[in-house]
Amino acid sequence: MSIRRIIINFILAILTFVLHTSVFCRVLDFGGVTPDLMLIFVTSVAFLRGEKPGLLSGFFGGFLIDIFSGKLGFYALIYMYIGFLVGKLNEVFYSQNIAIPITIISVSDFVYNFVLYVLLFLFRRRFDIGYYMMNTIIPSVVYTALVAIFYYPFILKIHERIFEKEQRSEKKFV
Amino acid sequence: MSPVIRRNGEEFTIPSKYLLSILTALCVVLMLITFNADKIDAGPLTGPINTFASIFMTPLQRGITTVGTKIKNTTDRLAEISRLLDENEKLKTKVDELTIENTRLQREKYDYIELKKLYEIDSSYENYKMVGATVIAKSQGKWYDSFTIDKGEDNGLKIDMNVLADGGLVGRIIEIGPDFAVVQTIISDDNNVTGTVMSLQKNLNVSGNLKEYDSGNISFSRLKADNVKMGDIVVTSKISEKYVPDILIGSISGIENEPDNTKRGTITPAVDFEHLNRVLVIVDPEPYKKK
Repeated sequence: MSIRRIIINFILAILTFVLHTSVFCRVLDFGGVTPDLMLIFVTSVAFLRGEKPGLLSGFFGGFLIDIFSGKLGFYALIYMYIGFLVGKLNEVFYSQNIAIPITIISVSDFVYNFVLYVLLFLFRRRFDIGYYMMNTIIPSVVYTALVAIFYYPFILKIHERIFEKEQRSEKKFV
Repeated sequence: MSPVIRRNGEEFTIPSKYLLSILTALCVVLMLITFNADKIDAGPLTGPINTFASIFMTPLQRGITTVGTKIKNTTDRLAEISRLLDENEKLKTKVDELTIENTRLQREKYDYIELKKLYEIDSSYENYKMVGATVIAKSQGKWYDSFTIDKGEDNGLKIDMNVLADGGLVGRIIEIGPDFAVVQTIISDDNNVTGTVMSLQKNLNVSGNLKEYDSGNISFSRLKADNVKMGDIVVTSKISEKYVPDILIGSISGIENEPDNTKRGTITPAVDFEHLNRVLVIVDPEPYKKK
């Protein structure tokens, strides 16, 4: 864990959040459906770096959302577990093919939305799961996958550059 | 960085499973505190966090919103030109009709002003003290509907203050920082407002509903009145703790009967929630709050 990596990820998380709330939620939304940029960020970091960075970026990213929703800890918890679980896949898959991360992002977005439905809606006696599935969850997953095709390579590039720089500086001092 | 330092500074790491459980516990504690914010004072906790938010996020959001709305306005303008030309023709004929109607209404207005003086009705928003604000960000995802505005405690805003736009109720402030405030809208699925049907003076419960959201409506329930009509005006009620009384919510657009002799249905809000950019926050009077 170099300090550079932490700072760059910190800036990336803030950028992701601002981009999401200001651009995608206000300008590029289709009938209220928005891509979950923060989830793409957390899942990408977890997939590229493993469970601990995934868990930490999930916690931090979720916390940013919490600050603006007034209830601290809720999103941080969900994102953290998603980051942790996806991080476990880091050892299983080789990340060269873009189809694998996009699939993982889609699946985790589905799980994320489903958990939100259960926690926020089912517990308040909103039982019509078919309606919410067709009108909120599925559109959100599709849109997220679409945006992930462009956003994941961006995060991948940045992480590759950090990795290169770290290796170079390590060689210098060994 | 010499090799000696490297050996001494052997990285101190926590296994991720322990880290996960520590952070989980932290989240649970935070949730317990903030979900019971009425009972436990969360001020010392949220203070520094909100300051952090207003240093890092709000300036960025404000900048991006300014650029974003400019771009959107330009593209919208280009797309609208042809539509506007057609509309212009129609509107010209409409203007003639309205001029005639206007003269008639002018006369009636004088009557109305006289009557108003007579009854000393003073229910319009004219003497409310309001602060204008710009919407800079919307909430995460589709599940709930709230947005962030660019004014906060420094401008005299407080939690629970009511927010208006287009002359109708938008929502209330649920979260505040030095220079931002989060507004929960009345169309949000977890929101409830006590309203009154203006013509009948009967109370009803207005609640946001994600299923009605796509058709632009909100739902109401528990109305105990038989002679309610489509198009009746609903305003905030006098018994509401969180809302200033007599603010326009919308008009009734659908009525259904319930088995327990009450009515439920839908209301078309007065505010266009899809295109909110400028809102007004009522600073005075503050909503009545029971302590």
